[in-house]
Amino acid sequence: MSQDKSILLNIKNLRIEGYSDEHWIEIVHGIDLTLHRGEVMGLIGESGAGKSTIGLAAMGFTRDGCRISEGSSIEFDGLELTTTPAADLQSLRGARIAYVAQSAAASFNPAHKLIDQHTEAPLQYRIQKRLESQEDAMELYERLRLPNPREIGFRYPHQVSGGQLQRAMTAMAMACRPDLIIFDEPTTALDVTTQIEVLSAIRDIVDQFNTAAIYITHDLAVVAQMADVIKVLLKGDEVEESDTRSMLENPQDDYTKSLWAVREFKKEQVPRPADTVPLISVQHVDAAYGDTPVLEDVSFDIYSGMTVAVVGESGSGKSTTARCITGLLPPTKGEVLFQGTPLPPDYRDRTKDQLRQAQMIYQMADTALNPKVKISEIIGRPAAFYSGLHGPELKNRVDEILDLIELDPSLYYNRYPPELSGGQKQRIGIARSLAAEPTFIICDEVTSALDQLVAEGILRLLDKLQKEMNLAYMFITHDLATVRSIADEVVVMQYGKVVEQGPKDEMFRPPHDPYTDLLLSSVPEMDPDWLSTLLEERGVDSNTETHNP
Amino acid sequence: MNYFIIGFYALVIGASTLAAYYQKRTTFILLFSLTLISFVMGIVGGEAMLWSVTILAGLIAFSAGVSYSFREFLIILLPEDLAKEMRTAPLTAGFGLFVIFTYAISGIFAPIIAPYGEAEVISSAFAPADENMLLGADQLGRDMFSRIIYGARNTVGLALLATILAFAMGATAGLYAATKGGKLDQLLGRIVDVIMSIPSLIFSLLLLSIFGTNTVTLIIVIAIIYAPRVFRLARSVGGNVVVMDYIEAAKLRGEGTWYLIRKEILPNSTAPLIAEFGLEFCFVFLLVAGLSFLGLGIQPPTADWGSMVRENATLISFGEITPLIPAGAIALLTVAVNFVVDWMLYRSSGLKE
Repeated sequence: MSQDKSILLNIKNLRIEGYSDEHWIEIVHGIDLTLHRGEVMGLIGESGAGKSTIGLAAMGFTRDGCRISEGSSIEFDGLELTTTPAADLQSLRGARIAYVAQSAAASFNPAHKLIDQHTEAPLQYRIQKRLESQEDAMELYERLRLPNPREIGFRYPHQVSGGQLQRAMTAMAMACRPDLIIFDEPTTALDVTTQIEVLSAIRDIVDQFNTAAIYITHDLAVVAQMADVIKVLLKGDEVEESDTRSMLENPQDDYTKSLWAVREFKKEQVPRPADTVPLISVQHVDAAYGDTPVLEDVSFDIYSGMTVAVVGESGSGKSTTARCITGLLPPTKGEVLFQGTPLPPDYRDRTKDQLRQAQMIYQMADTALNPKVKISEIIGRPAAFYSGLHGPELKNRVDEILDLIELDPSLYYNRYPPELSGGQKQRIGIARSLAAEPTFIICDEVTSALDQLVAEGILRLLDKLQKEMNLAYMFITHDLATVRSIADEVVVMQYGKVVEQGPKDEMFRPPHDPYTDLLLSSVPEMDPDWLSTLLEERGVDSNTETHNP
Repeated sequence: MNYFIIGFYALVIGASTLAAYYQKRTTFILLFSLTLISFVMGIVGGEAMLWSVTILAGLIAFSAGVSYSFREFLIILLPEDLAKEMRTAPLTAGFGLFVIFTYAISGIFAPIIAPYGEAEVISSAFAPADENMLLGADQLGRDMFSRIIYGARNTVGLALLATILAFAMGATAGLYAATKGGKLDQLLGRIVDVIMSIPSLIFSLLLLSIFGTNTVTLIIVIAIIYAPRVFRLARSVGGNVVVMDYIEAAKLRGEGTWYLIRKEILPNSTAPLIAEFGLEFCFVFLLVAGLSFLGLGIQPPTADWGSMVRENATLISFGEITPLIPAGAIALLTVAVNFVVDWMLYRSSGLKE
């Protein structure tokens, strides 16, 4: 294969407008972008920076309600996409430009087998016959190190794991051997151990076929592994662009520096208070969904004013433990003690005061806040419900809480959740749990759906609140960077069991349980050689596959 | 060849040429297909046919104009956020709203608008239209126009009440079943299955002949027949809302079922329920009209569109269109409500927000 390095994509002065409130508003303000064959460009920025919009525009496509302004130029291999008729663009997409979406689970059609969806494009463009194409798919599956490459294609999307699905999607994008692939946050929804498999698979395949790629993400460590060139975007404007190494070593712009500095937040580790009763004590808890056991002999203690991080990959029983503590899922064995007294297993049997003590903050603020209820009522309801406040007292209390979470009461009092940004919604979620005046809060992946800058703000806020109110947190996460910054104690879970637990400083020091070790080494680092080094150490990894049965 | 035919063709061809020149694509296609149709019509049906084409096109243009101006009128009158919704509404929705508005006015102010009482005999049977009677008289010599106006009040009012009752029962039970789940959900679901398995017209005939026909029974019977459909919709919509985290949060707070339904689930289910309300209203309306036509609905001498069709049906054999007027009133309202519902469905299907 010739390693041709000519210019493939040349975007000049790209302006995109979105229609909202009966006006066209410019959302991308004149972006220039040049991509050579075989080159991977990373587009990073927080949400709303226009990353995905630019990614889609590279295919000559805009979402409904958006349009590319006059004067923009998108030249793909000598073809001006802005003036090409829709039908010609259609035949370009899939064949020469492919797109890998963030959620493979949502992008595959659940009613068809993987391989049938894979062969659809080659058949439609008459590039290959069905059997040829299936053969080719299996070969791609093998290259992407999917297990049973000859059979996996004949499964339905729900029969394979998330990481495998994401790789199958990458294989599908490669089906017509496109010149350009656009990866839109392909690993954001995956946990660290799975993310590594997908990243290395994507990198290999892009290398092998000399494919150019645009890699969209908000995770800097990931982009450092994947991209040759990084472009930083902010609110539809380019902040800076340079090759990966110089960008990492020597960022120029203040905004880029702030992105780089995000991971520096670290709270001081609090030691366990001596001879006090733990606030929450989980004792030998077993739990099951129907007949399927999910938790086995889980025990740990949480003391007032401390943060216990519960880590593990998805399906390890972290959230189920939280459900046992809140009483949504009564344990089959064992019990949960609150300040030394056992809590009734079912939340319906608990008293109002017991319910008040333990509050939850959810991962997806979108589904955790009722979109049809005003902020004032979302926060006011728990205050009114538990403390019986009403009238001006209630309003004062809500104002007070809004101040606590650093949102201006006069601006947000009468708004509805859909009018807020992701970070603001998460703050309202925190406010709702604070309104109950709890002593213990369960934070279920509260930052994993947020950009790093916003997530850091939330972590700082949680830390501040903890200091002010002596709150205890149970912090469920799969992100070890978050654990490093906020935890006092760490509980590692796998397959519904506690693998290891102890204070944070001990946990991050060897020796580890082998599983803890795998988790720790899978966290992407800001070093562009990290992935290669890691893969070498592990020996071209097929062993990670065992964690996704 | 007369001036009308020459003028007609000159107008349509000229208009479509202009549209083509100014690159108004949809207008051109519309006008040019009208031209082609008129060529065929002109050859087949001659001048008379061309006249009807002209009248038809004029009628459509007129109702489009009315819908447009009514929509603009609403935009000016309504508060800001509602006006914004109206501005994006299609013309058909404007038309639907206009028709509903007209019916509502004539229903509410029936005694003022109608020149005679609904049961007042003022002339001989089947008297033709004159300056006193806009639409002539019916089989007993009552004024047709007055009865149509009163009919709007009786038929539409009854259908509205029955639909509201059906929704109150169906939605409450459906949301309750969705929230509680388990055995209660099963029990309610099976009851609903039983009611739905009996054809609605037969079932209502049966119930009405058992309990007798008066307005109250009629409303209750219709509500019972239509509540199951609402139950199913409310239960499935509610089922999607119940799994949300905010419901879990509310449950963990210790909130009661009634609070959950009222404050958390209902506000998130209103869009599909309102759309369903429009559709159900049409079905109920047609059922009421159908029952009246069979003689089991609203009883004489109360004016009702369904029974008016039946009472005047003999006139059809004499080539009179009188019995078709109340039928047309029913059809027009059904179409109008559906236009509005379509618009609401489009809005609630996720393009909003």
